Amino acid sequence: MSALILISVLGVLVLYLGLFDKKSWLAPVSILGLLGAMALFISGYHIDHELLGGMVEFSAFSIGFNIGMAIITALIFFFGSDYYARQEHHVAEQYALMLFSLVGGFILTSYTSMLMLFIGIEILSIPLYILAGGKKQSLRSNEASFKYFLLGSFSTAFLLMGITLLYGLTGSFHLEALAAHMASTGTGDMVQNFGLFFVVTGLAFKVGAVPFHFWVPDVYQGAPTLVTIFMSTVVKMAGFAAFFRFIDITGMPDALARIMVLLTLATLLVGNVIALKQTHFKRLMAYSSVAHSGFLLLALLTDHGHAAGHGDAIGHTLHYYTFTYSLATTGLFILFTIAKRANNGAEHNNIFQGLFAAKPWLALCALAMFLSLAGIPLTAGFIAKYQVFLLAIGAGWLKVTLLGVLMALLGIYYYIMVVREVFVTPEEPVRFEVSPLNWVVVSVCAVGVLVLGVWPGLV
Amino acid sequence: MENVMTAIRVVPLDHYLILSFLLFSIGMVGALVRRNIIIVIMCLELMLNSVNLLLVAFSAYHSDPGGQIMVFFIMLVAAAEVTVGLAILVLLKRNTDSVDMNQLNRLKW
Repeated sequence: MSALILISVLGVLVLYLGLFDKKSWLAPVSILGLLGAMALFISGYHIDHELLGGMVEFSAFSIGFNIGMAIITALIFFFGSDYYARQEHHVAEQYALMLFSLVGGFILTSYTSMLMLFIGIEILSIPLYILAGGKKQSLRSNEASFKYFLLGSFSTAFLLMGITLLYGLTGSFHLEALAAHMASTGTGDMVQNFGLFFVVTGLAFKVGAVPFHFWVPDVYQGAPTLVTIFMSTVVKMAGFAAFFRFIDITGMPDALARIMVLLTLATLLVGNVIALKQTHFKRLMAYSSVAHSGFLLLALLTDHGHAAGHGDAIGHTLHYYTFTYSLATTGLFILFTIAKRANNGAEHNNIFQGLFAAKPWLALCALAMFLSLAGIPLTAGFIAKYQVFLLAIGAGWLKVTLLGVLMALLGIYYYIMVVREVFVTPEEPVRFEVSPLNWVVVSVCAVGVLVLGVWPGLV
Repeated sequence: MENVMTAIRVVPLDHYLILSFLLFSIGMVGALVRRNIIIVIMCLELMLNSVNLLLVAFSAYHSDPGGQIMVFFIMLVAAAEVTVGLAILVLLKRNTDSVDMNQLNRLKW
Protein backbone atom coordinates (compact mmCIF):
# COMPACT_ATOMS: atom_id res chain seq x y z
CA MET A 1 0.00 0.00 0.00
CA SER A 2 2.75 2.42 0.95
CA ALA A 3 4.36 1.80 -2.45
CA LEU A 4 1.08 2.66 -4.21
CA ILE A 5 0.80 5.90 -2.24
CA LEU A 6 4.46 6.70 -2.79
CA ILE A 7 4.18 6.40 -6.58
CA SER A 8 0.93 8.39 -6.72
CA VAL A 9 2.41 11.21 -4.61
CA LEU A 10 5.59 11.02 -6.67
CA GLY A 11 3.54 11.68 -9.80
CA VAL A 12 2.05 14.82 -8.28
CA LEU A 13 5.49 15.91 -7.05
CA VAL A 14 6.91 15.50 -10.54
CA LEU A 15 4.09 17.68 -11.91
CA TYR A 16 5.08 20.40 -9.40
CA LEU A 17 8.72 20.11 -10.46
CA GLY A 18 7.55 20.78 -14.00
CA LEU A 19 5.57 23.79 -12.79
CA PHE A 20 8.74 25.30 -11.28
CA ASP A 21 10.85 24.54 -14.38
CA LYS A 22 13.16 22.04 -12.72
CA LYS A 23 13.53 19.93 -15.84
CA SER A 24 16.88 18.40 -14.92
CA TRP A 25 15.45 17.09 -11.64
CA LEU A 26 12.60 15.12 -13.21
CA ALA A 27 14.37 11.87 -14.09
CA PRO A 28 16.49 11.66 -10.90
CA VAL A 29 13.52 12.35 -8.61
CA SER A 30 11.30 9.84 -10.45
CA ILE A 31 14.00 7.17 -10.37
CA LEU A 32 14.64 7.76 -6.65
CA GLY A 33 10.92 7.38 -6.01
CA LEU A 34 10.82 4.14 -7.99
CA LEU A 35 13.79 2.82 -6.01
CA GLY A 36 11.93 3.72 -2.82
CA ALA A 37 8.86 1.82 -4.05
CA MET A 38 11.03 -1.18 -4.89
CA ALA A 39 12.53 -1.07 -1.38
CA LEU A 40 9.02 -0.98 0.10
CA PHE A 41 7.98 -3.95 -2.02
CA ILE A 42 11.10 -5.92 -1.11
CA SER A 43 10.66 -5.24 2.60
CA GLY A 44 7.14 -6.66 2.33
CA TYR A 45 8.18 -9.69 0.31
CA HIS A 46 6.59 -13.03 1.27
CA ILE A 47 3.94 -11.29 3.35
CA ASP A 48 0.36 -11.38 2.09
CA HIS A 49 -1.20 -7.98 2.75
CA GLU A 50 -4.89 -7.43 2.28
CA LEU A 51 -5.82 -3.85 1.49
CA LEU A 52 -8.86 -1.73 0.74
CA GLY A 53 -11.27 -4.08 2.48
CA GLY A 54 -9.79 -7.18 0.84
CA MET A 55 -10.05 -5.88 -2.71
CA VAL A 56 -6.29 -5.80 -3.25
CA GLU A 57 -3.85 -8.39 -2.00
CA PHE A 58 -0.08 -8.18 -2.33
CA SER A 59 1.26 -11.72 -2.58
CA ALA A 60 4.70 -12.98 -3.63
CA PHE A 61 3.35 -13.24 -7.21
CA SER A 62 2.20 -9.63 -7.43
CA ILE A 63 5.25 -8.23 -5.64
CA GLY A 64 7.51 -10.05 -8.09
CA PHE A 65 5.65 -8.49 -11.01
CA ASN A 66 5.58 -5.06 -9.35
CA ILE A 67 9.33 -5.02 -8.79
CA GLY A 68 9.84 -6.08 -12.40
CA MET A 69 7.63 -3.25 -13.67
CA ALA A 70 9.36 -0.71 -11.43
CA ILE A 71 12.80 -1.81 -12.71
CA ILE A 72 11.71 -1.49 -16.34
CA THR A 73 10.12 1.92 -15.68
CA ALA A 74 13.34 3.10 -14.03
CA LEU A 75 15.32 1.97 -17.10
CA ILE A 76 12.86 3.86 -19.32
CA PHE A 77 13.30 6.98 -17.18
CA PHE A 78 17.11 6.75 -17.48
CA PHE A 79 16.58 6.73 -21.24
CA GLY A 80 14.02 9.53 -20.87
CA SER A 81 16.55 12.01 -19.50
CA ASP A 82 18.24 11.82 -22.91
CA TYR A 83 15.09 11.32 -25.03
CA TYR A 84 13.43 14.47 -23.68
CA ALA A 85 16.65 16.51 -23.60
CA ARG A 86 15.64 18.60 -26.64
CA GLN A 87 12.00 18.98 -25.65
CA GLU A 88 11.29 22.19 -23.74
CA HIS A 89 7.62 21.90 -22.78
CA HIS A 90 5.40 19.31 -21.09
CA VAL A 91 8.23 17.00 -20.07
CA ALA A 92 7.09 16.70 -16.45
CA GLU A 93 3.63 15.58 -17.58
CA GLN A 94 5.11 12.66 -19.50
CA TYR A 95 6.93 11.38 -16.43
CA ALA A 96 3.92 11.95 -14.19
CA LEU A 97 1.52 10.17 -16.56
CA MET A 98 3.86 7.19 -16.80
CA LEU A 99 4.02 7.02 -13.00
CA PHE A 100 0.21 7.18 -12.73
CA SER A 101 -0.05 4.46 -15.33
CA LEU A 102 2.38 2.35 -13.30
CA VAL A 103 0.06 2.62 -10.29
CA GLY A 104 -2.67 1.04 -12.43
CA GLY A 105 -0.21 -1.72 -13.26
CA PHE A 106 0.46 -2.33 -9.56
CA ILE A 107 -3.28 -2.68 -8.93
CA LEU A 108 -3.68 -5.08 -11.87
CA THR A 109 -1.10 -7.50 -10.50
CA SER A 110 -2.78 -7.69 -7.12
CA TYR A 111 -6.56 -7.29 -7.47
CA THR A 112 -8.89 -9.76 -5.80
CA SER A 113 -12.10 -7.96 -6.72
CA MET A 114 -13.35 -7.37 -10.25
CA LEU A 115 -14.06 -3.77 -9.28
CA MET A 116 -10.33 -3.27 -8.83
CA LEU A 117 -9.67 -5.09 -12.11
CA PHE A 118 -11.78 -2.49 -13.91
CA ILE A 119 -10.25 0.45 -12.05
CA GLY A 120 -6.72 -0.88 -12.51
CA ILE A 121 -7.18 -1.25 -16.26
CA GLU A 122 -8.56 2.27 -16.52
CA ILE A 123 -5.77 3.81 -14.43
CA LEU A 124 -3.29 1.98 -16.63
CA SER A 125 -4.95 2.98 -19.92
CA ILE A 126 -6.17 6.56 -19.60
CA PRO A 127 -2.67 8.08 -19.12
CA LEU A 128 -1.50 5.99 -22.07
CA TYR A 129 -4.12 7.49 -24.39
CA ILE A 130 -2.58 10.88 -23.64
CA LEU A 131 1.01 9.65 -23.82
CA ALA A 132 0.48 8.05 -27.22
CA GLY A 133 -0.48 11.49 -28.53
CA GLY A 134 2.64 13.02 -27.03
CA LYS A 135 3.83 14.61 -30.28
CA LYS A 136 1.05 17.14 -30.62
CA GLN A 137 1.91 18.34 -34.12
CA SER A 138 2.41 14.88 -35.59
CA LEU A 139 -0.66 13.51 -37.34
CA ARG A 140 0.57 9.96 -36.85
CA SER A 141 0.83 10.48 -33.13
CA ASN A 142 -2.68 11.99 -33.03
CA GLU A 143 -4.03 9.07 -34.94
CA ALA A 144 -2.26 6.48 -32.75
CA SER A 145 -3.62 8.18 -29.67
CA PHE A 146 -7.17 8.28 -30.97
CA LYS A 147 -7.16 4.69 -32.22
CA TYR A 148 -5.86 3.53 -28.87
CA PHE A 149 -8.55 5.54 -27.10
CA LEU A 150 -11.38 4.18 -29.25
CA LEU A 151 -10.36 0.54 -29.10
CA GLY A 152 -9.41 0.88 -25.44
CA SER A 153 -12.84 2.16 -24.42
CA PHE A 154 -14.47 -0.39 -26.68
CA SER A 155 -12.68 -3.22 -24.91
CA THR A 156 -13.46 -1.66 -21.52
CA ALA A 157 -17.16 -1.86 -22.34
CA PHE A 158 -16.78 -5.58 -23.07
CA LEU A 159 -14.85 -6.12 -19.87
CA LEU A 160 -17.55 -4.31 -17.90
CA MET A 161 -20.33 -6.32 -19.51
CA GLY A 162 -18.51 -9.49 -18.50
CA ILE A 163 -17.94 -8.30 -14.95
CA THR A 164 -21.62 -7.36 -14.66
CA LEU A 165 -22.84 -10.75 -15.85
CA LEU A 166 -20.55 -12.52 -13.41
CA TYR A 167 -21.77 -10.16 -10.67
CA GLY A 168 -25.33 -11.10 -11.59
CA LEU A 169 -24.49 -14.75 -10.98
CA THR A 170 -22.78 -14.40 -7.64
CA GLY A 171 -23.97 -11.11 -6.15
CA SER A 172 -20.39 -10.12 -5.37
CA PHE A 173 -17.41 -8.70 -7.25
CA HIS A 174 -14.99 -10.76 -5.22
CA LEU A 175 -12.99 -13.37 -7.13
CA GLU A 176 -13.34 -15.85 -4.25
CA ALA A 177 -17.12 -15.68 -4.59
CA LEU A 178 -16.80 -16.31 -8.31
CA ALA A 179 -14.48 -19.27 -7.72
CA ALA A 180 -16.90 -20.74 -5.16
CA HIS A 181 -19.81 -20.30 -7.56
CA MET A 182 -17.95 -21.92 -10.45
CA ALA A 183 -16.87 -24.83 -8.28
CA SER A 184 -20.48 -25.46 -7.20
CA THR A 185 -22.09 -25.26 -10.66
CA GLY A 186 -19.53 -27.31 -12.60
CA THR A 187 -19.95 -26.79 -16.35
CA GLY A 188 -21.84 -23.54 -15.90
CA ASP A 189 -24.75 -21.96 -17.74
CA MET A 190 -25.06 -19.48 -20.57
CA VAL A 191 -24.77 -16.35 -18.45
CA GLN A 192 -21.57 -17.61 -16.85
CA ASN A 193 -20.02 -18.51 -20.20
CA PHE A 194 -20.97 -15.16 -21.68
CA GLY A 195 -19.55 -13.36 -18.66
CA LEU A 196 -16.24 -15.21 -18.86
CA PHE A 197 -16.12 -14.69 -22.62
CA PHE A 198 -16.65 -10.93 -22.33
CA VAL A 199 -14.03 -10.50 -19.60
CA VAL A 200 -11.49 -12.53 -21.57
CA THR A 201 -12.27 -10.43 -24.66
CA GLY A 202 -11.59 -7.24 -22.72
CA LEU A 203 -8.31 -8.59 -21.36
CA ALA A 204 -7.26 -9.98 -24.76
CA PHE A 205 -7.62 -6.48 -26.22
CA LYS A 206 -5.22 -5.14 -23.59
CA VAL A 207 -2.52 -7.75 -24.19
CA GLY A 208 -2.94 -7.54 -27.98
CA ALA A 209 -4.09 -11.07 -28.75
CA VAL A 210 -5.39 -11.88 -32.23
CA PRO A 211 -8.16 -11.10 -33.35
CA PHE A 212 -8.03 -8.06 -31.07
CA HIS A 213 -4.57 -6.94 -32.13
CA PHE A 214 -5.40 -4.34 -34.80
CA TRP A 215 -4.44 -1.41 -32.63
CA VAL A 216 -1.00 -2.81 -31.72
CA PRO A 217 1.06 -2.02 -34.87
CA ASP A 218 -0.65 1.32 -35.49
CA VAL A 219 -0.25 2.55 -31.94
CA TYR A 220 3.33 1.29 -31.62
CA GLN A 221 4.27 3.06 -34.84
CA GLY A 222 2.52 6.34 -34.14
CA ALA A 223 3.39 6.81 -30.47
CA PRO A 224 6.69 8.43 -29.42
CA THR A 225 9.35 5.71 -29.03
CA LEU A 226 9.64 6.13 -25.28
CA VAL A 227 5.90 5.57 -24.89
CA THR A 228 6.10 2.59 -27.24
CA ILE A 229 8.68 1.05 -24.89
CA PHE A 230 6.39 1.65 -21.94
CA MET A 231 3.43 0.11 -23.77
CA SER A 232 5.24 -2.97 -24.96
CA THR A 233 6.88 -3.71 -21.60
CA VAL A 234 5.09 -2.47 -18.48
CA VAL A 235 1.60 -2.67 -19.96
CA LYS A 236 2.24 -6.17 -21.23
CA MET A 237 3.51 -7.33 -17.83
CA ALA A 238 0.51 -5.83 -16.06
CA GLY A 239 -1.92 -7.17 -18.66
CA PHE A 240 -0.66 -10.71 -18.38
CA ALA A 241 -0.55 -10.59 -14.60
CA ALA A 242 -4.20 -9.51 -14.60
CA PHE A 243 -5.09 -12.14 -17.20
CA PHE A 244 -3.38 -14.84 -15.16
CA ARG A 245 -5.07 -13.85 -11.90
CA PHE A 246 -8.47 -14.01 -13.56
CA ILE A 247 -7.84 -17.28 -15.41
CA ASP A 248 -6.30 -18.90 -12.37
CA ILE A 249 -9.17 -18.11 -10.04
CA THR A 250 -11.83 -19.35 -12.45
CA GLY A 251 -9.93 -22.63 -12.88
CA MET A 252 -10.71 -22.33 -16.62
CA PRO A 253 -13.87 -24.35 -17.38
CA ASP A 254 -14.04 -26.17 -20.72
CA ALA A 255 -15.97 -23.44 -22.51
CA LEU A 256 -13.31 -20.89 -21.61
CA ALA A 257 -10.51 -23.31 -22.50
CA ARG A 258 -11.92 -23.68 -26.04
CA ILE A 259 -11.88 -19.90 -26.54
CA MET A 260 -8.37 -19.66 -25.12
CA VAL A 261 -7.09 -22.34 -27.50
CA LEU A 262 -8.49 -20.42 -30.46
CA LEU A 263 -6.96 -17.17 -29.19
CA THR A 264 -3.58 -18.84 -28.68
CA LEU A 265 -3.51 -20.51 -32.10
CA ALA A 266 -4.58 -17.33 -33.91
CA THR A 267 -2.11 -15.15 -32.00
CA LEU A 268 0.86 -17.47 -32.59
CA LEU A 269 0.07 -17.81 -36.28
CA VAL A 270 -0.87 -14.25 -37.22
CA GLY A 271 1.77 -12.53 -35.09
CA ASN A 272 4.68 -14.50 -36.48
CA VAL A 273 3.53 -14.73 -40.10
CA ILE A 274 2.75 -11.04 -40.54
CA ALA A 275 6.01 -10.08 -38.81
CA LEU A 276 7.87 -11.78 -41.67
CA LYS A 277 6.72 -9.08 -44.10
CA GLN A 278 7.57 -6.03 -41.98
CA THR A 279 10.30 -3.62 -43.01
CA HIS A 280 9.37 -0.86 -40.58
CA PHE A 281 11.18 -1.54 -37.32
CA LYS A 282 8.45 -0.36 -34.96
CA ARG A 283 5.81 -2.41 -36.77
CA LEU A 284 8.14 -5.41 -36.72
CA MET A 285 8.47 -5.02 -32.96
CA ALA A 286 4.67 -4.64 -32.70
CA TYR A 287 4.03 -7.93 -34.49
CA SER A 288 6.82 -9.52 -32.50
CA SER A 289 4.98 -8.29 -29.40
CA VAL A 290 1.79 -9.96 -30.68
CA ALA A 291 3.76 -13.14 -31.33
CA HIS A 292 5.17 -13.11 -27.80
CA SER A 293 1.62 -12.64 -26.52
CA GLY A 294 0.88 -15.92 -28.26
CA PHE A 295 3.59 -17.77 -26.33
CA LEU A 296 2.39 -16.19 -23.08
CA LEU A 297 -1.20 -17.22 -23.86
CA LEU A 298 0.12 -20.76 -24.37
CA ALA A 299 1.47 -20.59 -20.82
CA LEU A 300 -1.91 -19.35 -19.58
CA LEU A 301 -3.62 -22.19 -21.40
CA THR A 302 -1.87 -24.74 -19.22
CA ASP A 303 -3.91 -23.53 -16.29
CA HIS A 304 -6.75 -25.67 -17.67
CA GLY A 305 -7.43 -28.53 -15.32
CA HIS A 306 -5.58 -27.07 -12.34
CA ALA A 307 -7.54 -26.62 -9.16
CA ALA A 308 -8.35 -22.93 -8.71
CA GLY A 309 -5.43 -20.94 -7.36
CA HIS A 310 -2.72 -23.58 -7.92
CA GLY A 311 -0.87 -22.14 -10.86
CA ASP A 312 2.28 -20.97 -9.08
CA ALA A 313 4.58 -22.48 -11.71
CA ILE A 314 2.66 -20.71 -14.47
CA GLY A 315 2.81 -17.42 -12.60
CA HIS A 316 6.56 -17.76 -12.26
CA THR A 317 7.00 -18.60 -15.95
CA LEU A 318 4.88 -15.60 -16.96
CA HIS A 319 6.95 -13.36 -14.72
CA TYR A 320 10.25 -14.61 -16.12
CA TYR A 321 9.03 -14.44 -19.73
CA THR A 322 7.54 -10.94 -19.54
CA PHE A 323 10.48 -9.52 -17.60
CA THR A 324 13.17 -10.83 -19.94
CA TYR A 325 11.09 -9.87 -22.98
CA SER A 326 10.77 -6.36 -21.52
CA LEU A 327 14.53 -6.06 -20.93
CA ALA A 328 15.33 -7.01 -24.53
CA THR A 329 12.61 -4.76 -25.97
CA THR A 330 13.72 -1.76 -23.92
CA GLY A 331 17.31 -2.08 -25.06
CA LEU A 332 16.37 -2.56 -28.71
CA PHE A 333 14.07 0.45 -28.81
CA ILE A 334 16.82 2.61 -27.29
CA LEU A 335 19.21 1.40 -30.00
CA PHE A 336 16.45 2.13 -32.52
CA THR A 337 16.26 5.74 -31.29
CA ILE A 338 20.03 6.09 -31.57
CA ALA A 339 19.98 4.70 -35.12
CA LYS A 340 16.97 6.82 -36.05
CA ARG A 341 18.80 9.97 -35.00
CA ALA A 342 21.85 8.92 -37.03
CA ASN A 343 19.64 8.45 -40.12
CA ASN A 344 17.64 11.69 -39.95
CA GLY A 345 14.43 10.16 -38.61
CA ALA A 346 14.10 7.13 -40.90
CA GLU A 347 12.39 4.21 -39.16
CA HIS A 348 13.04 1.19 -41.40
CA ASN A 349 15.10 -1.83 -40.49
CA ASN A 350 18.05 -0.73 -42.61
CA ILE A 351 18.82 2.20 -40.29
CA PHE A 352 20.85 -0.25 -38.22
CA GLN A 353 23.39 -0.56 -41.03
CA GLY A 354 26.91 0.29 -39.96
CA LEU A 355 26.26 -0.09 -36.25
CA PHE A 356 28.88 -2.82 -35.94
CA ALA A 357 31.49 -0.78 -37.77
CA ALA A 358 30.86 2.32 -35.67
CA LYS A 359 29.99 0.90 -32.24
CA PRO A 360 30.98 -2.79 -31.97
CA TRP A 361 29.89 -3.16 -28.33
CA LEU A 362 26.40 -1.82 -29.00
CA ALA A 363 26.11 -4.09 -32.04
CA LEU A 364 26.95 -7.08 -29.84
CA CYS A 365 24.34 -5.89 -27.34
CA ALA A 366 21.80 -5.72 -30.17
CA LEU A 367 22.79 -9.23 -31.22
CA ALA A 368 22.25 -10.55 -27.68
CA MET A 369 18.85 -8.92 -27.37
CA PHE A 370 17.62 -10.04 -30.80
CA LEU A 371 18.76 -13.58 -30.07
CA SER A 372 16.94 -13.43 -26.76
CA LEU A 373 13.72 -12.37 -28.50
CA ALA A 374 14.23 -15.15 -31.03
CA GLY A 375 14.86 -17.69 -28.27
CA ILE A 376 18.38 -18.90 -29.00
CA PRO A 377 20.06 -20.92 -26.19
CA LEU A 378 22.25 -19.09 -23.65
CA THR A 379 19.87 -16.12 -23.67
CA ALA A 380 16.93 -15.56 -21.37
CA GLY A 381 14.44 -15.77 -24.23
CA PHE A 382 15.36 -19.43 -24.77
CA ILE A 383 14.78 -20.37 -21.13
CA ALA A 384 11.48 -18.50 -21.15
CA LYS A 385 10.17 -20.27 -24.25
CA TYR A 386 11.54 -23.59 -22.99
CA GLN A 387 9.63 -23.21 -19.73
CA VAL A 388 6.43 -22.36 -21.60
CA PHE A 389 6.72 -25.38 -23.88
CA LEU A 390 7.55 -27.62 -20.94
CA LEU A 391 4.43 -26.45 -19.09
CA ALA A 392 2.28 -26.90 -22.20
CA ILE A 393 3.53 -30.44 -22.89
CA GLY A 394 3.08 -31.32 -19.23
CA ALA A 395 -0.54 -30.16 -19.44
CA GLY A 396 -1.14 -32.23 -22.57
CA TRP A 397 -1.43 -29.51 -25.24
CA LEU A 398 0.82 -31.33 -27.69
CA LYS A 399 -0.56 -29.98 -30.98
CA VAL A 400 -0.63 -26.37 -29.80
CA THR A 401 2.93 -26.75 -28.50
CA LEU A 402 4.05 -28.12 -31.85
CA LEU A 403 2.64 -25.04 -33.57
CA GLY A 404 4.37 -22.91 -30.94
CA VAL A 405 7.74 -24.52 -31.67
CA LEU A 406 7.26 -24.07 -35.42
CA MET A 407 6.35 -20.43 -34.92
CA ALA A 408 9.37 -19.89 -32.67
CA LEU A 409 11.56 -21.21 -35.51
CA LEU A 410 9.78 -18.89 -37.96
CA GLY A 411 10.41 -16.04 -35.52
CA ILE A 412 14.17 -16.56 -35.70
CA TYR A 413 14.05 -15.57 -39.38
CA TYR A 414 12.70 -12.05 -38.99
CA TYR A 415 14.94 -11.24 -36.03
CA ILE A 416 18.00 -12.47 -37.94
CA MET A 417 17.02 -10.22 -40.87
CA VAL A 418 17.47 -7.19 -38.60
CA VAL A 419 20.63 -8.62 -37.03
CA ARG A 420 22.06 -8.92 -40.53
CA GLU A 421 21.49 -5.19 -41.06
CA VAL A 422 23.42 -4.46 -37.86
CA PHE A 423 26.52 -6.17 -39.25
CA VAL A 424 26.27 -4.74 -42.78
CA THR A 425 28.85 -2.03 -43.47
CA PRO A 426 27.38 0.73 -45.67
CA GLU A 427 29.50 2.56 -48.21
CA GLU A 428 29.40 5.81 -46.29
CA PRO A 429 30.09 5.37 -42.59
CA VAL A 430 27.19 6.48 -40.37
CA ARG A 431 27.88 8.49 -37.22
CA PHE A 432 26.01 7.11 -34.23
CA GLU A 433 25.91 9.49 -31.27
CA VAL A 434 25.42 7.66 -27.99
CA SER A 435 25.07 9.45 -24.69
CA PRO A 436 26.82 7.68 -21.78
CA LEU A 437 23.56 7.02 -19.94
CA ASN A 438 22.00 5.32 -22.98
CA TRP A 439 25.13 3.23 -23.38
CA VAL A 440 24.79 2.08 -19.78
CA VAL A 441 21.07 1.26 -20.10
CA VAL A 442 21.56 -0.72 -23.32
CA SER A 443 24.45 -2.61 -21.75
CA VAL A 444 22.39 -3.36 -18.64
CA CYS A 445 19.58 -4.75 -20.81
CA ALA A 446 21.89 -6.89 -22.94
CA VAL A 447 23.94 -8.21 -20.03
CA GLY A 448 20.67 -8.74 -18.16
CA VAL A 449 19.23 -11.09 -20.79
CA LEU A 450 22.51 -13.03 -20.94
CA VAL A 451 22.91 -13.34 -17.18
CA LEU A 452 19.26 -14.33 -16.71
CA GLY A 453 19.70 -16.84 -19.51
CA VAL A 454 22.60 -18.50 -17.75
CA TRP A 455 21.18 -18.23 -14.21
CA PRO A 456 17.38 -18.29 -14.62
CA GLY A 457 16.98 -18.63 -10.86
CA LEU A 458 17.80 -14.96 -10.33
CA VAL A 459 14.27 -13.76 -11.15
CA MET B 1 -34.40 3.07 -0.66
CA GLU B 2 -36.45 -0.07 -0.10
CA ASN B 3 -39.26 1.42 -2.25
CA VAL B 4 -36.87 1.88 -5.13
CA MET B 5 -35.64 -1.68 -4.77
CA THR B 6 -39.18 -3.09 -4.91
CA ALA B 7 -40.02 -0.79 -7.81
CA ILE B 8 -37.07 -2.15 -9.74
CA ARG B 9 -38.10 -5.70 -8.93
CA VAL B 10 -41.55 -5.16 -10.46
CA VAL B 11 -39.99 -5.73 -13.89
CA PRO B 12 -38.66 -9.27 -14.37
CA LEU B 13 -34.88 -9.66 -14.54
CA ASP B 14 -35.00 -11.14 -18.05
CA HIS B 15 -36.42 -7.91 -19.40
CA TYR B 16 -33.53 -5.89 -17.96
CA LEU B 17 -31.12 -8.39 -19.45
CA ILE B 18 -32.69 -8.17 -22.91
CA LEU B 19 -32.95 -4.38 -22.84
CA SER B 20 -29.37 -3.89 -21.79
CA PHE B 21 -28.11 -6.40 -24.35
CA LEU B 22 -30.07 -4.51 -26.99
CA LEU B 23 -28.58 -1.19 -25.91
CA PHE B 24 -25.12 -2.76 -25.79
CA SER B 25 -25.52 -4.14 -29.31
CA ILE B 26 -26.80 -0.82 -30.65
CA GLY B 27 -23.79 0.90 -29.13
CA MET B 28 -21.40 -1.72 -30.46
CA VAL B 29 -22.74 -1.66 -34.00
CA GLY B 30 -22.83 2.13 -33.93
CA ALA B 31 -19.23 2.34 -32.77
CA LEU B 32 -18.15 0.02 -35.57
CA VAL B 33 -20.28 1.45 -38.38
CA ARG B 34 -20.61 5.19 -37.90
CA ARG B 35 -17.98 7.45 -39.45
CA ASN B 36 -18.49 10.58 -37.39
CA ILE B 37 -16.13 10.42 -34.41
CA ILE B 38 -18.47 12.28 -32.05
CA ILE B 39 -21.25 9.78 -32.72
CA VAL B 40 -18.77 6.95 -32.14
CA ILE B 41 -17.94 8.41 -28.72
CA MET B 42 -21.68 8.63 -27.97
CA CYS B 43 -22.05 4.97 -28.94
CA LEU B 44 -19.26 4.03 -26.54
CA GLU B 45 -21.13 5.88 -23.78
CA LEU B 46 -24.27 3.95 -24.70
CA MET B 47 -22.39 0.68 -24.23
CA LEU B 48 -21.18 1.74 -20.79
CA ASN B 49 -24.65 2.92 -19.76
CA SER B 50 -26.28 -0.34 -20.82
CA VAL B 51 -23.86 -2.00 -18.39
CA ASN B 52 -24.92 0.47 -15.70
CA LEU B 53 -28.59 -0.42 -16.21
CA LEU B 54 -27.87 -4.12 -15.86
CA LEU B 55 -25.74 -3.52 -12.75
CA VAL B 56 -28.54 -1.62 -11.01
CA ALA B 57 -31.04 -4.36 -11.86
CA PHE B 58 -28.74 -7.12 -10.58
CA SER B 59 -27.96 -5.08 -7.50
CA ALA B 60 -31.66 -4.71 -6.66
CA TYR B 61 -32.34 -8.41 -7.26
CA HIS B 62 -29.42 -9.49 -5.07
CA SER B 63 -30.21 -6.78 -2.43
CA ASP B 64 -26.51 -5.98 -2.56
CA PRO B 65 -25.37 -2.34 -2.69
CA GLY B 66 -22.04 -3.28 -4.30
CA GLY B 67 -23.48 -3.10 -7.80
CA GLN B 68 -24.67 0.46 -7.29
CA ILE B 69 -21.26 1.52 -6.01
CA MET B 70 -19.79 0.05 -9.18
CA VAL B 71 -22.21 2.20 -11.21
CA PHE B 72 -20.72 5.31 -9.62
CA PHE B 73 -17.22 4.13 -10.46
CA ILE B 74 -18.23 3.43 -14.06
CA MET B 75 -19.78 6.89 -14.44
CA LEU B 76 -16.69 8.51 -12.97
CA VAL B 77 -14.27 6.59 -15.14
CA ALA B 78 -16.42 7.12 -18.24
CA ALA B 79 -16.35 10.85 -17.58
CA ALA B 80 -12.55 10.80 -17.24
CA GLU B 81 -12.21 8.71 -20.37
CA VAL B 82 -14.45 10.92 -22.47
CA THR B 83 -12.59 14.01 -21.25
CA VAL B 84 -9.36 12.56 -22.58
CA GLY B 85 -11.05 11.33 -25.75
CA LEU B 86 -12.57 14.70 -26.56
CA ALA B 87 -9.24 16.43 -25.89
CA ILE B 88 -7.58 14.11 -28.39
CA LEU B 89 -10.42 14.79 -30.82
CA VAL B 90 -9.88 18.55 -30.50
CA LEU B 91 -6.20 18.00 -31.32
CA LEU B 92 -7.15 15.92 -34.32
CA LYS B 93 -9.66 18.53 -35.48
CA ARG B 94 -7.02 21.26 -35.26
CA ASN B 95 -4.56 19.25 -37.32
CA THR B 96 -6.87 17.80 -39.98
CA ASP B 97 -9.93 20.09 -39.80
CA SER B 98 -12.33 17.17 -39.78
CA VAL B 99 -14.04 14.78 -37.36
CA ASP B 100 -14.41 11.96 -39.85
CA MET B 101 -13.10 8.48 -39.06
CA ASN B 102 -11.70 8.14 -42.59
CA GLN B 103 -9.09 10.72 -41.64
CA LEU B 104 -7.46 8.04 -39.54
CA ASN B 105 -5.65 6.30 -42.37
CA ARG B 106 -2.02 7.32 -42.07
CA LEU B 107 -0.96 4.19 -40.23
CA LYS B 108 -1.41 1.06 -42.30
CA TRP B 109 0.22 -2.36 -42.55
